[in-house]
Amino acid sequence: MIEFLEGNDAVVRGALDAGCRFFAGYPITPATSILTGMMRAMPEAGGVAVQCEDEIASIGMCIGASMTGQKVLTATSGPGMSLYSENIGLAITGETPLVIVNVQRQGPATGSATKGADGDILFMRWGTSGGLPLIVLSPESVHECYTLTRAAFDLAERYRVPVILASQKEVGLTRERVDLDEARAAMPPSRPRDAAPTDRPYVPHAFEQPDDVAPLSPIGGPHLLRYTTSMHDERAWLTGDPAVISRMMEHLRRKIDDHADEIALFDHDPDVGAKNLVVSYGITARSAREAVARVRAAGGRVSLLVLKTLFPVPEAAIRAALIGIERVVVPEMNLGQYAREVQLFADGREVRSVTRMDTELVSPDDVIREGGLL
Amino acid sequence: MSYLDEASLPLPFCPGCGHAKVTHAIDEALQILGRPKERVVVVTDIGCVGLTDRHFDTNAFHGLHGRSITYASGIKLADPDLTVVVVMGDGGAGIGGAHLLAAARRNIGICVIVANNFNYGMTGGQHSCTTPSGGITATCHLGNLEAPLDLMGTLRPSKPGFLARTSVFADDVPALIARGLATQGFSLVDIWDLCVAYYAGQNTLTRNSIADMMAELEMPAGVHFEGGRPEFARAWRDLYHPAETADDEGMCLLPPDAGLAPVAESILAARTGILIAGAAGQKIRSLATVFGAGAIMSGLHATQKDDYPITVMTGHSAAEVLVSPVPIVYTGIEVPDVVLILSEEGRARVARKLAKLPPESRVYVEASLGPVETQARVIPLDLKGAAKEVHRLAVGAVGVGTILAAEGIYPLEAFEAAARRLQKQKVADTNIAGLRAGAALAG
Repeated sequence: MIEFLEGNDAVVRGALDAGCRFFAGYPITPATSILTGMMRAMPEAGGVAVQCEDEIASIGMCIGASMTGQKVLTATSGPGMSLYSENIGLAITGETPLVIVNVQRQGPATGSATKGADGDILFMRWGTSGGLPLIVLSPESVHECYTLTRAAFDLAERYRVPVILASQKEVGLTRERVDLDEARAAMPPSRPRDAAPTDRPYVPHAFEQPDDVAPLSPIGGPHLLRYTTSMHDERAWLTGDPAVISRMMEHLRRKIDDHADEIALFDHDPDVGAKNLVVSYGITARSAREAVARVRAAGGRVSLLVLKTLFPVPEAAIRAALIGIERVVVPEMNLGQYAREVQLFADGREVRSVTRMDTELVSPDDVIREGGLL
Repeated sequence: MSYLDEASLPLPFCPGCGHAKVTHAIDEALQILGRPKERVVVVTDIGCVGLTDRHFDTNAFHGLHGRSITYASGIKLADPDLTVVVVMGDGGAGIGGAHLLAAARRNIGICVIVANNFNYGMTGGQHSCTTPSGGITATCHLGNLEAPLDLMGTLRPSKPGFLARTSVFADDVPALIARGLATQGFSLVDIWDLCVAYYAGQNTLTRNSIADMMAELEMPAGVHFEGGRPEFARAWRDLYHPAETADDEGMCLLPPDAGLAPVAESILAARTGILIAGAAGQKIRSLATVFGAGAIMSGLHATQKDDYPITVMTGHSAAEVLVSPVPIVYTGIEVPDVVLILSEEGRARVARKLAKLPPESRVYVEASLGPVETQARVIPLDLKGAAKEVHRLAVGAVGVGTILAAEGIYPLEAFEAAARRLQKQKVADTNIAGLRAGAALAG
């Protein structure tokens, strides 16, 4: 069925199709329509949606509900991400599956509340104390608001970790022609939550290899569940033993970082003989696509790498795309954030950051001109 | 059957601290209630009393400082049959005050035990939201200037399920907690407690003087409220869930729908950017959606972005609609091909863009607005006059009808089909009548 939907609408559909049956949120432009969409849709799906007193309560309720076995979603914008920060750390240490949509707006602080930007890209990865990894995906279209929301739920379950969908106003509140039935038909079924075996004692954070992920037994289910914000061992008992803590840190890091290749979602569009590569994500990827098409139409050569997974950084994809390249152009709607990640693998190549943070889109012309692509 | 994990004892609290008594009282109350351990959750947060959850042989959740009520609320909302106990200190009640108020207002079925010892024991005895005026702590060594929070008086106007205050040395503690646990809605038991390490010593507060302090502060012990409002987690389901729960196969359940399948064919040759600039109340956003949907129903691709102030009933309302015979990659409109100006507010909003328009762009403007400063071709039209014949809210539809007819973007019948598809009949009728009037105006 062809529809004319906004990205935020597609997030709601994606979450419901992923099996999400719990939503808690707080109104904030430009994410509010996810809250209202969930309030409308959830009763029919048999789930619960609630507006909370603030963003701290929103993510707190989601964490509680997730530990009872529900797939959960919350949605906010930059100011709310700041208030989520501490609880994101809790969800990481408690290994709680959780999907967060950040419909970014221009900041800092209240910023231009109704205008877009990608100013939270590094904040999403590094915005909680402790610096342990989580997963960040970035949709460039209404279609991807659906498919990547589905993917976010699967990844959250697979790795027992918070997954952030880095949307922004220009995706979330732009209406586009889309066929979600087609999108749904093209996707595998959503991943159910793994059940823990009942024939042995339950160990909530068990792992043999550091990157193992234990199944989650719900509060109210067959096992008694322990959960703690404090540093703990595999049984969720408090510990001060440096050897145990070291193992746990290794586990929380490696269960994500060792699987970066599996988590990596990207489009690589190489051009034989190209010396220039454009690396982009989110709404700006569409400017990059248009710029690349224009350069090629004009007889120029340029390759393109569009990242859907921003964190863990798809290192292998970036390194592969860099082969034969002399200059990397990274357009983004901030003052140059992801360009720093790309720089890590540049090995002396020029990395040109094309930035704009005045609420306007980076235009294809900006990419071509400032990137020196023609 | 004890609900404590005997292997984990003794409790870790200072000798003489009341938190051990609180812990045992909760255990006694749970025994009175007699629920299976798997159906009980003890939720705590940071503060000395937050060490207690690990000693319970139930589900146990130890979260961030002051946020225990939020986790407990999520747990209860997701599984309303669980018995959810929150154990927090006065520190948590202070920093999590908003959650306390919201939980009581919702009347969500969690039982909150506040082990209230008038200071932050875990960090060395700083003052809290319940420290009495004049009380001495590490952060008010000459006396507290703040008034103490009265948990009963604060929460009673919300009419939750059960509110009670007692002293940790009173005999009624287990019974009061049991009443709280048995309450369907929100319950809170404020247990005045001794912090032997800091507050009690610095302020000569003893087992016997707690009653004097209650009298002096006019915060008496006893049951302060019992209410019968419906419990939130169940009430929400009763109110919002359909009588028969939908079949849940993990798929979104929407009514079968034909969507925006094409009903006409557009001969549009190239991507065209259209800017509709009007005022609040002119229904610009919904009109732009129907306009874009009409494009889709004639086989085109379309995007729409709205621009309006937070105060939606006043000022400008503008929309950008991009239509294209091929999929739209870049969604920006750098140079609008067509601008439709319906009001003064709209004109002011797009003035910067009008100034930059090239001669080949077209500006359709309500004639009464006067001259437009732009290099583009300006087409003044009596849109308001034409709309008068239809409906005062039809001016936008008149403008769109004019554009569709003059620019030949797509057939009128596609707009009409989109209006019928997306709008209530009366609104669609008005818009279709406006559209036709506009098309007639374009000649």
